[in-house]
Amino acid sequence: MSTATKDRKTSTTTRRRTTSTSSKRKTANKQITLLENKFESALKTLEQAKPFAKSLYQTDIFHFATDLAATSEGVSIIFKYAHLFDQAGVFKDGEWEDLTKLQPQFVGGSLRVKTIYSIIELLSEMRILAIAKETYKHEEFTAEDASKFLNEVLALNLDLLTLIETQDESNEPEDHEIRAFNLLSYLGQELSFKAVADQMVQEIERLTVQRPITTNRVLDMIQTSEQLKNSGIDDNTVGILEKFGRATNAPTPLSLETSDQREYRLRLEQASEEELIAEAKIFADSMKETGLVSPYHAVLIRFLNRKNHEIIPTALALTEKGISGFNDHNKLIHDMIQISIYPETRQSIYGLGKMLDRGVLNIEPVIPGIRQLFELPVHAEVRKALSKFVDEQSGISINGVLVAGLISVLGQPLGVGQGTNPICQSARAISLWSQYDIERLLSFINSAARDNGIEMTFEGETINSTLLIGGVANEINQDLDPISVLLVPHLDKIYNEMMKRTLLRGEDGHKWVNREFYGEWIPSGFINAIDPFTLQVSNYSAFVKLFYATHHPDYNEGYQLIYPNPVGIFITNVHGELLGLHAVSIQRIDKDPNNDIRIYFYNPNNDSTQNWGQGIKASVSGFGELEGESSLPFHEFVARMYAYHYNPYEQGDTFMVEDKLVETVETLAKDSWGKNYVWE
Amino acid sequence: MRENQEKTTVLLGWSLQAIEAIDKLDRPFVVVGPPEFTTFAEKNNIKLIPWTFDVPIEQSFELYEILKELNVSVAVPIYEETVEWAGMINSLIWDDPKVFNKSLLLRDKGLMKRRAHLAGLRVGVFEEAYNKEDIYRFFKRINQAFMKLEGETFEPIHVKPFDKAGTVGHYMIKKPEEIEQIDDSEFPLLMESHLEGQEFSCEAFIHNGKVKFLNITEYVKLGHSNFVPASPSLEKWRPQIKEAIEKLVEGFEVKYGLLHPEFFVTPEGTLYFGEVANRIPGGHIFEHIERVYGFSPYQAQVLCCDPETPEEVLNKFFPEEVVSAKGHSGNLMIYPKVNVISRLEIPTELKEHPYFLKHNMFIPTTSKVSERVGFGNHYGSIYFLGEDSEVLRDLLVKYEKHNFYV
Repeated sequence: MSTATKDRKTSTTTRRRTTSTSSKRKTANKQITLLENKFESALKTLEQAKPFAKSLYQTDIFHFATDLAATSEGVSIIFKYAHLFDQAGVFKDGEWEDLTKLQPQFVGGSLRVKTIYSIIELLSEMRILAIAKETYKHEEFTAEDASKFLNEVLALNLDLLTLIETQDESNEPEDHEIRAFNLLSYLGQELSFKAVADQMVQEIERLTVQRPITTNRVLDMIQTSEQLKNSGIDDNTVGILEKFGRATNAPTPLSLETSDQREYRLRLEQASEEELIAEAKIFADSMKETGLVSPYHAVLIRFLNRKNHEIIPTALALTEKGISGFNDHNKLIHDMIQISIYPETRQSIYGLGKMLDRGVLNIEPVIPGIRQLFELPVHAEVRKALSKFVDEQSGISINGVLVAGLISVLGQPLGVGQGTNPICQSARAISLWSQYDIERLLSFINSAARDNGIEMTFEGETINSTLLIGGVANEINQDLDPISVLLVPHLDKIYNEMMKRTLLRGEDGHKWVNREFYGEWIPSGFINAIDPFTLQVSNYSAFVKLFYATHHPDYNEGYQLIYPNPVGIFITNVHGELLGLHAVSIQRIDKDPNNDIRIYFYNPNNDSTQNWGQGIKASVSGFGELEGESSLPFHEFVARMYAYHYNPYEQGDTFMVEDKLVETVETLAKDSWGKNYVWE
Repeated sequence: MRENQEKTTVLLGWSLQAIEAIDKLDRPFVVVGPPEFTTFAEKNNIKLIPWTFDVPIEQSFELYEILKELNVSVAVPIYEETVEWAGMINSLIWDDPKVFNKSLLLRDKGLMKRRAHLAGLRVGVFEEAYNKEDIYRFFKRINQAFMKLEGETFEPIHVKPFDKAGTVGHYMIKKPEEIEQIDDSEFPLLMESHLEGQEFSCEAFIHNGKVKFLNITEYVKLGHSNFVPASPSLEKWRPQIKEAIEKLVEGFEVKYGLLHPEFFVTPEGTLYFGEVANRIPGGHIFEHIERVYGFSPYQAQVLCCDPETPEEVLNKFFPEEVVSAKGHSGNLMIYPKVNVISRLEIPTELKEHPYFLKHNMFIPTTSKVSERVGFGNHYGSIYFLGEDSEVLRDLLVKYEKHNFYV
């Protein structure tokens, strides 16, 4: 055991218990004063250095700060000097220099690495805290901005606060974890936890309102928010947090009174029919309200599936259409529940209700496709990839996981998400097929599960994913639903291969690939604002006018969008700066409750309220959005688009589109992503 | 300090430390350095002539034409590779071809040793090697000369490239088999007999052929640790060392600039010459000099390179050697002893030692440790400052064995 580790341990114990002897404390004090002196003088040296020479002196700051940040007193010492950091040049020429470009979402990542970045990140938070506390005034970042930023940082990283307490002797926290803990405790102490809790509630509501299939992130946040309840936050916020807490745990009288799932199941045996109906209703309401499902809900559904079949529609919160589908396909649904609804696949209960409400089972070939999945022999590789959805103790089979996954995508086609992977194309495909080509989806699922490969044709030639290497996403992280885990590796490779085959055609390959990849119902007209040869923006006004003439109800002679339109957009950050290209699909174009024309779209990143700058902020509720949809006013969406499909036989006259409209869109485009391109 | 206001000094090589130092001297300067610094230089108003030095020296005429326009009066070399470029540019500025030839002497270890020998310095036995056969023969002859019998331990020899800085490409050969490790592409090499004794380096600031300031840097472990000024046990040989330096100055006809020679001294005070360079030393030596003596050695180098610096300025610039030093400044360079780094462990005892100043070790972004070339790739250093050279030496020896990276 090394001395450094021992030292670390003492410092954490001191912080928690302060039982050390006074002589020890004296040396500790002396050490920290010494460190403070070194830090202060290093800061002075840095401040005096000319701008070009700052980098020679920044490292000393980072090192002394590292030592200081190892204790909570040290963190408060760092804060004493934080108002001087920018002026001294602590962040000069680094990624943290311009604080208006920093984003709270990225803070956690930096704090979690062992390298120098974690200490620079910490210093940057201290600088922001100085702004919030008004010891430092920044021209472009107000005290309010600063508090908001830090509240979000705290809300997103509360788990770092539990990290240290939950670790035991054998699993000692590392230096960077200790300083992240010290930072967050300090921030929590200096800011109000109330604001953090509000932020947390906002974040949870923002995510759940989109009804994602994969809920891990929300569940983590709900769990970490638990510890905020006792930090003096107001009753209303506590109420909301408790609502989510209950929804994911035990929302009903019987589930509350029993201690585990087994006991709950035994208690159900004793329950009267009224009690069962009451349970079913409460579960259904909680699920409808939050989009989240309790594991006890799964226990109840399984129980009802055996004994009280007729209560299931209540437990699934079915609409009339759903109930009639339920009655028509009684046996199938019974089997589906039996094989696939378990506590670990509880989220599929939500999908099951939505799937029945959609009436999916009335589509002819769907039923045999689902039944085939029940007993399909599953390829060993697929088994391995899907095994993470299965608890060792649990009775669910891999086929059950697949059926549960299928139920989710069919019930929540707009809840398919890409996680943190660059796979928007594949996620969009699964979403589109779940809506309009279930037969195709089923055939891919069956062949991928059985053969660990799928086939598609491109211009008459078969492309088999098992024969391809590479793809857009080399390493797909696993924060995906079972169907995505199954299909994405293949879809990604095939899409990539199709694009390769169009490389030399002198036009954007999506023109051909999209129709073959997603489906032939995609209109054959295609236009890209960027010339693939010159990589310049060419004839942008024609691009905009054509979109109005084909898609805007005032200009397109009343043609409705029948199928979603897969379009390419530029993703920009809050400052309107280009971040990259992204694939979304336009679901519908309609008047919102205020009578404004909006574009309602599906965004596979499941984080659809991002701020894209210039006041363009997609919303997910409040403007007539359906579950899982995002929306933007028509012109704002157009200003971020670079490619779309259109039906050349269904369009109005482009000359009818006013130049003023085009100008508005063009200005938005030029002042944001357009800065990265040459305009012809 | 406003000397030589109208004429421009050119720094050959990019070093922020050197740029900062000359900027503080408040004299006009221009940097000749890699093109990748162009944006940075523009942003910070640093005059940069983008240049790569790995081209034939003949192209220095082209560089000289550019510099002439800027009214350049002296060129200062920053790196080993720019020494002959400085020689050439100064030859052209001062219209003295010999300046370039002298600089070549400092770039060829074989020539350098011969010249030192001729100047009356004690050197080991050395020869040039053009292939492995040469090394086998040299190794054999050295061991014959030592009258080594069969089965006895061999007398080791050293081989190194003619023109590389410090320890790059240096091998110590203890057995004939080890000769095979050397790749044919590394020839020609200089071979020399092993010298016993304590190794140290000097940083001598020369102006008008006179040693204006002589620092002695004591090596605790070559490539790992050193300190400034040397301990009393080494400083006691200062008169002999200074005499040797003066022989070098005379023999190499050095009039202006910095000499950075390495010597060995036996317990009896016999000095052996190792090699000499005409550039800024590595191993943080300049930082130590600045820390204990309070002057910038970078500025000292610039002032000494310029023939027009008045003597009074230099006399005022340099403090008295050894006695004016505020303690001994030393450092330990850290080389990870593991292949993959997972943690950094710095003992509290070390951090709390009154001699401990600071360190700059960090967990690198790629945890895999890169292979060592020379002593070039250390992963941070630990700095000490203290009164007693023995305490300092003990610290350097003790922590050289410690695993900071685990």
